[in-house]
Amino acid sequence: MPYLARILAALVLGSLMMANNVSAANDSPTITVGTQEIGLSAGYLFPHRLVEGKSKTEQRGPAFMPSWMITLTDPIGDSWYRGQISLGGEMVYIQFQEPVLSHGIGFTPKIKYSFVALDRIRPYVEFAGGPFWTDLAGNIPEQQSQFNFILTAGLGISYFMNDGFALNAGYRFQHISNAHTSSPNVGLNESLPFAGFSFYF
Amino acid sequence: MQATPRVIWTIIISCGLVVTLTFGCGHRIEIKSTADSSPQPITRDIARAEQVPLVIDSVDTTRNGSPQTSSLETERRVLSTLRAVGLFSRLGDTNSPEPPASEKFIRARLVFDEAVDSHPGDVTWKSIAIGASMFTLAPFIPLEYDYSAHMTLELERWDGRVKRYESQSAGTAHYKMFGATPLMIDELKGHVTESCLTSLMEQVVQDTAFYTASSAPIFDRPIRSVSVKSKRSTVTPVPVATSSGK
Repeated sequence: MPYLARILAALVLGSLMMANNVSAANDSPTITVGTQEIGLSAGYLFPHRLVEGKSKTEQRGPAFMPSWMITLTDPIGDSWYRGQISLGGEMVYIQFQEPVLSHGIGFTPKIKYSFVALDRIRPYVEFAGGPFWTDLAGNIPEQQSQFNFILTAGLGISYFMNDGFALNAGYRFQHISNAHTSSPNVGLNESLPFAGFSFYF
Repeated sequence: MQATPRVIWTIIISCGLVVTLTFGCGHRIEIKSTADSSPQPITRDIARAEQVPLVIDSVDTTRNGSPQTSSLETERRVLSTLRAVGLFSRLGDTNSPEPPASEKFIRARLVFDEAVDSHPGDVTWKSIAIGASMFTLAPFIPLEYDYSAHMTLELERWDGRVKRYESQSAGTAHYKMFGATPLMIDELKGHVTESCLTSLMEQVVQDTAFYTASSAPIFDRPIRSVSVKSKRSTVTPVPVATSSGK
């Protein structure tokens, strides 16, 4: 856990240093069609043993997620659900520190819906999924093949410090399995609280 | 021989990148022609001594029916178009003081209704398809963004008589996912607004006699005169193609 604390502290401090104008503007940020977002998030994952008896591994470790997204709609709706759709991709790197030190890396296309009704505070929901390679497989009873898929569903909040910079925090649920491309395929489930930042241009 | 699969994959990935960058980053803007616009510029003559000043009284903007804060850019653009027409001796924005009541001047009121449709439902399903294909379908799935504008310009003469002009224009940006940029949307809005303003100015120019300082006939040529004309109308679709969206 001190490791995670160091990572998060470095992310927050780094992002604050990189923000050109930390003093927040009063007007809400203008995110239009074609606005691009580059971000970096980091978190620490915790296991969920959903299948009693079959899930035994308690995988844990830090995760890093650089991402790119592009906004594809203007704000939709005129109530609390008013928001915008973005599409993009994300690299996922997980260093499994338990049960054995191993690594995982994947690429996931990602779709995000950001609620814009609260101006600079923008909650969002996101879904992602894609191929994931890990050498944790083979060391655990649930998975034997190194080629897997990772599915992610998450929610978070972005706080816009200014028009082009936001701090993010949220929670993700992740599922890693091989989609029955090999046996066994019990799958790993995990929670991933995270924090990070994004630049918009 | 062991390098062969690697070479094949390199070629496949290179081809994919070329296809994505060639077809996936383009956009095209199509402007629908307005029914009341003329292909040839309309020209009228007005004596300099007959020109009167115009002051913009108000600019009201709505987007998809919701009132918006009017942008200075819209006002400047209207003033710039009016200046290019040359019908009025002096132009004042909403912050300019109104001339005294004893002077002849025109008071202008503009209502600017915008309608924006980014096709969110369509975009959602297409985004899912693009994402599920790991972006390989991005160069082949078209996305659209519609923008239309309806302008109403009221010009009130010094004697209280009002002339009302209306124009409407619409356009669509056809683009691929990697070609979406805020600049593309600005281009679309710029073309549509220009088309609307051109149509409005054509109508205003046709009423040149109404805005002369005296009731003298329009063909009474005094010593000095300036040419009053509308800009050429863009009635045909305006294709704007770029090889790269950035």
